[in-house]
Formats: sequence, structure tokens, C-alpha cells
Amino acid sequence: MTDTQCSNHHSMLNVQTIRSRRAFLAENAMGLGSVALATLLSQDRLLATPKNILKNPLHFDLNRKQPHFEAQATAMISLFQHGGPSHMDLTDPKPELTRYHGTEFKDDVKFSFINRATKTLMGTPWRFRPCGECGTELSELLPHTAEIVDEITLIRSMHTGANGHEVSIRYFHGGIPGVTGRPTVGSWLVYGLGTASRNLPAYMVLTDPGGLPVDGVHNWSNGFMPPLFQGTVLRPTEPRIHNLDAPAHLHGTLQQQNLALLSTLNRRHLEQHPGEADLEARIASYELAARMQSAASEALDVSKETRATQRLYGLDNDVTRDYGTRCLLARRLVERGVRFVQLFHKGQPWDSHTNIRKNLPAACRKTDQPSTALVKDLKQRGMLDSTVVHWGGEIGRLPVTENHGDPAKAGRDHNGQGFSMWVAGGGFKGGVTYGETDDFGHRAVVNTVTPNDYQATLLHLFGLDPEQLYYVHNGQVKEITNGRNSRIVSDILRRPPVAS
Amino acid sequence: MRLILPLLTLLSSCLISVSPGRAAADLTYEQHIRPIFRQHCFDCHGAEERKEAELDLRLVRFMTDGGESGPAIVSGEPGDSLLIQRIRDGEMPPGEAKVSVEELTLLEQWVAAGAKTARPEPESIGPGLGITPEERSFWSFRPIERPRVPVHDETSRVRTPIDALLLAVMQPRELHFSSDADRRTLMLRAYFDLIGLPPSDEEADAFLSDVAPGAWERLIERLLRSPHYGERWARHWLDVAGYADSEGAGADADRPWAWRYRDYVIRSFNQDKSFDQFIVEQLAGDELAGPKNGDFTEEQIELLIATGFLRTAADGTGSGDNDPSGRNQVMTDTIKIVTTSLMGLSVACAQCHDHRYDPIPQTDYYALRATLEPAIDWQAWKTPEERRVSLYTKEDHERSAEIEKEASKVTDERTAKQSKFIEEALTKELSKYDEPLRTQLRSAYETSGDTRTSDQTALLKKYPSTNITPGNLYQYNQAAADEIKKIDEKISEIRAKKPPHEYVRALVEPSGHIPETRLFHRGDYRQPKFEVSPASLTVAAPENDRTFFSSNDPELSTSGRRLAFAKWLTSGRHPLVARTIVNRVWLHHFGRGIVETPADFGRLGTQPTHPVLLDWLAAEFMEHDWKLSHLHRIIMTSTAYLQTSARSEEFNQIDPDNRYYWRKSLIRLEAEILRDRMLSASKQLDRELFGKPIPIQEDDTGQVVVDESQKRRSIYIQQRRTRPVALMKAFDAPVMVTNCDRRQSSTVATQSLMLMNGGFVLSQAAHMATVATEQVVPLEQRVAKAWQLALCRPPSDVEKEISISFINEQLAAITAEETKLPENVTPDQQAMADLCQVLLTSNEFLYVD
Repeated sequence: MTDTQCSNHHSMLNVQTIRSRRAFLAENAMGLGSVALATLLSQDRLLATPKNILKNPLHFDLNRKQPHFEAQATAMISLFQHGGPSHMDLTDPKPELTRYHGTEFKDDVKFSFINRATKTLMGTPWRFRPCGECGTELSELLPHTAEIVDEITLIRSMHTGANGHEVSIRYFHGGIPGVTGRPTVGSWLVYGLGTASRNLPAYMVLTDPGGLPVDGVHNWSNGFMPPLFQGTVLRPTEPRIHNLDAPAHLHGTLQQQNLALLSTLNRRHLEQHPGEADLEARIASYELAARMQSAASEALDVSKETRATQRLYGLDNDVTRDYGTRCLLARRLVERGVRFVQLFHKGQPWDSHTNIRKNLPAACRKTDQPSTALVKDLKQRGMLDSTVVHWGGEIGRLPVTENHGDPAKAGRDHNGQGFSMWVAGGGFKGGVTYGETDDFGHRAVVNTVTPNDYQATLLHLFGLDPEQLYYVHNGQVKEITNGRNSRIVSDILRRPPVAS
Repeated sequence: MRLILPLLTLLSSCLISVSPGRAAADLTYEQHIRPIFRQHCFDCHGAEERKEAELDLRLVRFMTDGGESGPAIVSGEPGDSLLIQRIRDGEMPPGEAKVSVEELTLLEQWVAAGAKTARPEPESIGPGLGITPEERSFWSFRPIERPRVPVHDETSRVRTPIDALLLAVMQPRELHFSSDADRRTLMLRAYFDLIGLPPSDEEADAFLSDVAPGAWERLIERLLRSPHYGERWARHWLDVAGYADSEGAGADADRPWAWRYRDYVIRSFNQDKSFDQFIVEQLAGDELAGPKNGDFTEEQIELLIATGFLRTAADGTGSGDNDPSGRNQVMTDTIKIVTTSLMGLSVACAQCHDHRYDPIPQTDYYALRATLEPAIDWQAWKTPEERRVSLYTKEDHERSAEIEKEASKVTDERTAKQSKFIEEALTKELSKYDEPLRTQLRSAYETSGDTRTSDQTALLKKYPSTNITPGNLYQYNQAAADEIKKIDEKISEIRAKKPPHEYVRALVEPSGHIPETRLFHRGDYRQPKFEVSPASLTVAAPENDRTFFSSNDPELSTSGRRLAFAKWLTSGRHPLVARTIVNRVWLHHFGRGIVETPADFGRLGTQPTHPVLLDWLAAEFMEHDWKLSHLHRIIMTSTAYLQTSARSEEFNQIDPDNRYYWRKSLIRLEAEILRDRMLSASKQLDRELFGKPIPIQEDDTGQVVVDESQKRRSIYIQQRRTRPVALMKAFDAPVMVTNCDRRQSSTVATQSLMLMNGGFVLSQAAHMATVATEQVVPLEQRVAKAWQLALCRPPSDVEKEISISFINEQLAAITAEETKLPENVTPDQQAMADLCQVLLTSNEFLYVD
């Protein structure tokens, strides 16, 4: 344990845990009888312990919890763009880079692929133009995003410090570069706040029909937290949720009768064990599982949406249908109380080492319209103010050419020193840009934002104090940022924190 | 009855911290004020030689004298006391942690009442915080004394001293033991507690029909002798030891030889090895084994395997983390595992500063570290691969050398080819450049790194693609790289003929290695301070009688530090070790420890509900040669253990959480036991013991599963830290980061889904249905068989009726809905499988009564 980690736990109070535990019991003790309530409350009294001791609650659940202070956001949809979208071609215009196109770059560069590495600068082949009322410049590759530019905060100064994919992915999700085995942002939100949905998982992950993203299941790990806080994968094909649906031959009456018998036996068993809260809870959890089956199929049925909405998301177009459907599903899930939804691509479509002229437009065509539709749709339904939308990858790309002989095949290598992402809704400002990279888009130089800053800012919008939201693991206090330096990026918030 | 009162006082003083009605006049510095200072102030005003503002808070008279700003307190005048003012104004302590309102009130009351001390303060004190008698008298640091056992009358149902001690605390609350559970319930309780598997029909019949006195005791003996006993109880120990089959820390590399330690633990439990010996072997097996003389003896190998205990910590030093911070992390984690598992304390806080709550000075932490340092030395590090111990014999070596000779011919060929390919790739790459640049680049490339001119270095940097290495050759010429790979395969083939290399994952201290251990300022290895000698925790020994370990035992080739440490821990005089172990055993029998925080017996942990009982058990354990079997016997023959789990409404009002043990609490099966029980019910369980872990894989949906064909007990499933098996994880099996001191027991919908639709459960239900229908024709008998297989009892008449009508309903549904059943499955089989699945997932199956 480092000294930073150790010193943190002295500053935190147990009051929060106790309060929220009582709150949940008083509010809605689903699955826990009054016996359990009495038990837990009596333990608080019986086990009076010294002050400032950090402990987890005795039981974990997904019931709604009070935030530390008033929340601006209540749900989040993250459109994660694996591979590193090329910011100098999409969101971060660099006239100097264009001007020096073809010349040697003077800055020291870290490459991932040395054999194709050059130090020759490559200006963007695409035009930028001012968009919206705010006039933020975006590339012609993002004509749809241009329509919502007044709703978003475009951060141009992201920085992970590492070029590798996994290192930066894990930093974004779990708070420490390269380290697995940690809960992800979704886990923390659900742990801290529970969920409003009684019939759907609190934290859902929408994967690509093509397969898993780079770094696989680590992308939605609950790490050291109980499995309750893991992302539930909504798979693109059946089974949509692991173990949600019965195999074909059990579907329908057969399984209903199974569950009916199970319930009969369990209730008879409970009669012999009156007052056992855990047995009651398990009976309830089977009921929840059964409710989930119907709730999920209802939530997943996009045919209930109007033609206009379907078209907005691009469901009428082969290129955008898949991503559009998933964006639309994300909205439907959030509408039904799901706290955190994250979309992933197969592999890493933004990893434009080669043929950037072809594959970057292709990745944009797939995502631009659906991502935009999501923001528009949320806004239209009055949900945007309370729902954070995030669009971004784990890294960006280098200003120099990755050489593949033929200039038409040129691409760009990884860059974790400076890149862009955007956020909208849930208390983020609209129509602003924040931070800058240098003249060539290589390094973030003004108002640098790290994944830890981003995480702290998110928690703040959800009404959670990033330093008070902790989990005690093996006697050690763990926070999302693991005690690393972080700041709430107040400049991009509609209602910044009051300075203390 | 005479003894009840003192017992009670002890108990209640443990359950309730400070009563609100306490008189201010009773406040003393040592008992009430010093803990506040320890937590908030001593870092700057006491612990270190230099005191901020020259203010020392360690004695009341120092406070009265004050520091640079004048007296800190004025006795009787809290309003005039600078200390109170500064705290109240939030100026002190600096930083975010503040003294709470309650603590401040306490301080004010204490000053107002005259700033009393418990006893006259000493004339002089040494450096550091020292340990006060109050701190030393904390329950877990007191010596273990065998308490007297109260005598109860015959109607009290007291069978053993455990019962007598429990009842003494129960009676004043008008509680008493419940009646005994029925024999079948008790039988299952014993089977799951001791071996984690249900009885076979024959075993069940044998016990249930044995009505002679002593049948219960005989059952316990039988189960203790079962080879499955070791599997069951090894799993508990492996949790605290932090066992895993992978290294964690970043890449989570495979840990191929850890399983030998797992098997050692199973064997040790099966041998009923004295726990003191078990501890000594794990901490110092290499020191006991002595130097290698020719090939290792079997006994030496076993002792080396035992030290696997000190090698369970996550260790990334073999995969990129081999730097001072990665190495120190391994040491930190190892210390944490040792202290939490054996001493019921996490001393981790004392790595950076004196412990804020417990009397553990920072020097104690480093004294412990000094004990391990000759073997785990961050300044003379060995990676996991370098640490493994080869079991190669002399004969193996000779045979291997012959084969290597054969292989070296091919490796020469490989070297030549590779140079050629790189040269070709370079020439091709250079051909993209004109002269004179081409020649300049070549000469820069060919000049070795340390003799290159700065121009040459710059040139290579400017044209990065000319930096061709064997590692990136594939990026230039895939065919060449493939050819090299082929040669590599050929080399591997030849080498594969060598006798297989077997290893032990062990901790072996090099002989004659005596490194110095320095205290790290604020835990930072870059700020080493004074040297610290190996020694025990100060508070764990009587005052002024701290045990120091010789830095270098002349009798041994190693330093002997760990052996001395292990002997001190098991000397019988250590207040924490036996308490920690008996508490764990109690926890696994009753679902809750006497101390509910089994790895924290300090002020941050919970207090024992029954301190006297805990001490009695600890003393009894040590007197009986540290045998776990003795603990099992005395626990399992007590009324406390034998009583029913039923709640009486009356007692439930008084003690709903059963903290007084007036009934036996229900326990949910752990993940491993759940899987094992299902395999057992379906007659699929492969009871083979020991060996390499059974592999895991990801199914096409990304879930980590055990291969269908693997039917061995769950303790043998490969434990990858980053790839936990979905079924295990869902039912709260630990995903090892450091170690797991206590498992959670969660109840969530994903578990239900897994039981309703998961592949493993469905396939066990199908297997079980086959067993239930084989050679049995009447439906009534099939149903009875299914109940027997799953729940180890025949169904009642009502249950039989419910089951039969369920099967008929399923059959009707299959016909009515024209259900397409899986291939080769008849409607009868399906309906029976459904019944089996319901039984396998019922609460009666999941919980031990």
C-alpha cells in the first residue's frame, strides 16, 4: 500500500455507509423481510465501533441509494470507440499540421509499430468547418455530429500517457493504467446509487454482433466488488443475456411449471424455517429472474418504436442498422430505469494504422448518425438533462504517417498523449470545447484531462463525492481513482461544484 | 452460577463501547484521550523525534508545558486550552481528516475535569509512542488463559464446556438451547461441514440405522478419516492463504506449479497434522529441509512445497513489473497474507506510520519484514521463474545434456538464417533511400548502439523503419519469420525428448544471505531510514520481554529468521495465533466467527461475542497438540451444534440474529460445494484426488466455464485471477487479489438465472434423470429416487404427490405444445429432468440446515 492510499482512509467517515444502509432498508427492502431490518439495525447498535472505521454494508443490493448530494445525472450511456479515433481528422483541426504536411516532425515520438514508423507529418485529407451556433469546427466526416454540436462538450485534451490499447482502456474503465481486476465506472455508479429498474439489470453492456471488443470481458468487470455490480452483457444474438432465456425446449409452459414447482417447494421449506430472510430473498430472486425474462424481451423490441424514430437512428440503412439499433436500445433501457449502458464495437474499428482514407470514413458512417440520433432523441424526450452520453475511445492517433509503401495506404499509429472525446447531457455544458493539443495534435497542452479526472467529474454529476465513494476490499479502502490525482473538471459543467 | 456475573460483565463491555452515562470525572488520558491523539495527532506531535511546533502530546505534563505557542492545555479550563481551540476551529489536524464532534466533546470534558491520568506519569520516556497498559490490555493482546467453566444443572442440556460457556451468557437473557435436530439433518450437517459432499445411500442407511450409543461420534470419526475432509478444509485455508493458479499483477501469467501447494494443504489436513507444525512448515519449510545433498529426498520436497504459502501473493515481477515498486508490492502482500491468516491482524497501516488504531509501531512492521527479507529481498530479487525449484535428478540432467547437444546443431542453423533474413530486409528497406543516405544509414545500423555517433543515432531516429530487429522481422518479411518459427518448432521437438521438467513453487532462502532491513519513511522504499532487526510484534509479547530473532542462526545455512518466527508464533505464548485459528474453525461450523472479522482482531475489527469461549477454545486447541480434529470433535458434539435451526418466536424477539447461539443458523453452500453436490447428485462426480488444475475455457458467449467433461471437485478447477469461472464467481467464490479472509454470501438474480438456464445445471439434471429412471419403472419410485439423489431423503406423501402431478403436467405440456425436445430425449426423460432440476436448485438443496 502506498502512502497516498493509506492516508486516504483516515479522512473518510463511516457515516455514509450506515446512513445509506438504513435508507435502503427503510425505503424498500425487496427480498428482505422485517426480520432482516431489525437484525441489521440492531447490529448497528450492538457493534458500536470506534469512529472513522470503514466497512462495507453487510448485504449488497441494487436498491436505490441516496447520493451524497443532489445529482444532476441519473443515467449514462457510453458509446465506447475502441482503437483510438483519429482526432486530427475528426474533432481537432490542426492547420499547422496541414501546413507542414510531408515535412519531418521535430518532436520526440513514441511508436508502437516501428517498421512502418516515419517522422513525416501527415495533414488531414478532410476539411473542417464551423458547426452549430457555437461554431466548433468538426471534420466533414461527421456531418451528423455537426447537428448536435451545440449539445455537447468536446474535450480536446484527453491524455492517458500510454499508447497501448489495453493500458489506456483499463485506465478509462478501472482507474489505473493497465491494471485489471478493478470495478468499472458502471460498477461504481451502480454500487453507489443502485438502480430504478426492478426488472432489468442495473448495468448493461451492448456488444457488437461481430464479437467482443479488445480486452474482452475486462471492459465490464466488477473487479473486487461482488458480482452484483458486474455489467450484464446484452448480446447481439440469442441468448441476449447470459442464462436469461431457457433453452428452446424449456421455453414457455415447461419452464413456467418448473418455476411454479420450485416456488411451491421453496415455500414449503420456508414454512419450516419461518423468518429466514435469506430464504425469502432467494424466492424473490427467482421471481425477479422470471420478471427479467419478460421485461428484457419487451425492452429489446424496437419494433414498438415509430418509423420516424427508427429512421432517425438509421435502422433503414444497412450501414447504420446495427449501431443504430443498439443506440436505440440504450435509450429504451435507460428509459426503463437502467443506470448505466455501454456500447462496444467488435475489436477496434478506429485503429487506423493503414488505409485511413478508407477505414476512418467507414467507421464514421457506421456511428455518426446513430450517435447523433441518440442525443437528439434523448433531448426530444426530455431525458438528455439527466442522462450523460459519452462518445470516445481510449487513445487518439499520431500526427505522423504510418508508412505502407503506397501513400494511399498510409495510416496513423497510436497516441495516448493527446486526443479528443465528447460528452453530452446530464449536467455537461453544450456547445463548448475544452482543452487543447499542441499545433500538431500530438500532446495535450492546455487543460489536460486524464481518465481519472473524467471519472471524478462523472461521479460528481451523479451526486457522488469521488473521495467518499469507496469500497473496502481486504481491509483496504478503494476508490475509483485509487487515490491517484484527479480533479472535477468544473469548467465543462452547467452547475460546477461550489468551491469549499 | 457464581461465575455468571463476571462473564457477563466481560461480554457486555465488549459489545457496547462507551456508555453515554459515563461520568466526565472518570476520563483518563490513557484510556480515552490517547486513542484520539493516536488517530489524529501523533504523527506530528509524538511519534517522530522532531515534534511540530515543539509540541509533544505523549504525556499530559508535556501538554501543560506546551510548545512554541505556549501551553496546549490548561487543566480545568477547556475554553483557555489552545489544543481545544485549534481543534474546534478546524485548524488542527491539518488536512481533511477532522476530529469528530464526539471526540472533541470528550477532550473538553477531560480537560474540564482536570486532565487526569490513570497513574502518575513516568519521569522520562523513550522515543516513539510506546505501548500503554491500556493498549496492551486490549482483549486480543492479553495472554490466552484457560477460563474456568461454569457448572450447570442437569436440565440445562449442557453436553460440553462449549455449551456451559454459551449458556452462561444466554441465561441472563432468558434464552436457552433449542432441541436437537433430527438425525438426518444432523447427518447432512456433518457431511457438508466436514467433507463438503452428501452421503451415499449406503452411508446414510448405515448411520440412520445405527442406533447404538456413540453413532454420532463414530460418524464424525469416519468423516474425519475421509480423504475428502482434506479437500473441504484445504479450501478454507487456501482462501486465507490467497491461493491462485496465476500471478496476477498486469499480465496475470500462468502459475504452473502452484497446485503442489494446494495438494500439500489437502494432505496436511488429511494427515491431521498438528496446526503448529503446519504453520512452521509453511513459514520455514526450506530452513527445515536443509541443504540439498544429491537429489532431494521426498521429505525435503514436501517441506519445500509447504513454503508455497509464502509464494501466493500476486507477483508481476516475471512479466514486466520487475522494478523496486513491483518487488516491494510482493513483500507487502506477503506480509499481509501472513499476518491476516495467522495473527488475525492486518499490520499494513504500519508500513507507512505507527498504526492509527492498534499499538503497532512502524518499527514492528519492519521487524516483521526483516524476518522475511533474507528470502524475499527486493534488492536481490528473483522472478517467479528464477525461484522455482527443479526436481530434476542427476540422471535427468545427464540425459538432457545429450539431447541438448543434438538441438544445438539446429540452433546454429537458426542463428545463421536469422542474420541472413535481417540483412535482406535491411537491404530492401535501404533501397528506398538514395545514396549517400543509404550508406550512412547502413553504417549507422551496423555500428553497435554504444559506439554510434550522435549523428548516427539521430539518423536512425529520423528513419525509424530501418531499426530492424529479430523481434520485428515479421513486420518486414512474414515468410522469413515463419521459416524461423518452423526451425524453432524443430528445436522444440528435439528438446521435448528431454525428461519432463517438474518444479516446485517454493520460497528458498539462499545460504549466507543476510541483507539489512531499513525502515522506509512513509513506506517509501526511496527513503530508507535506520536499520531494523527481526523481531515479533511488541504488543504480542509481555512488557519488556519482546522476542527478538537471531539475525543469523549459526546452526543453519540460512538465517533461521523465519524458523525462529514460526516457532515463536507456535510457542503457545502468542496471544493471537491460536485465537485466530479456532475462530476460523468456529466460523466454518457456525457460519459466523466468535470474532466476526476473522482477519482483524484489532480495534477496527469487531469484538468477540464470546471472549471467554474463544479463550477456552484456544487453550483447549493448544493443549491438544494443535489438532483441528479435536476442535471438530468438541464443537460437533456440543448441544450448540446439535440443536435445530428452527426459530422460536419468543427468542427471535430477543436475539433475531442468533448471536447467543440459541439455535443453529442456516448456512448457504459455498460455490464449490454447490457444484460438487450437483455432480454428486447426478452421479457424475469424479473423486480422484490431487494433481494439476482442471482447465477452464471461455464459451462462445464469453463466459468462463469448466469443460463439460471435467467432473472433478471444484477445488481442482484452475484459479485464474482474471478469469474466474462464471458459476463460481456468481456464488461468491473469491476472485483472488491478495487473499480472502471471509466470503460474502450474496443472493442475486444472476444466480437464479444460472440455476434456471445454465448449461452446467441443465446437464446435471439430465444426468440425474437418467440415474433416477434406470432400472426403475413405476413413476412413484422414480420420483422417490430423484428426491433421494438430490436431497438425501425420500419425499413425503404430499411431496410425492406434488412431484407426480408435476411430471404429468410437464408431459401434458410437451404434448400440447408439440415441444421439440433435444435429440434422443423422450418426454418422460425430459419431465424427469425438469423435476431433477427443480430439486437441484431448491432452497433445501442450496442451504445446510
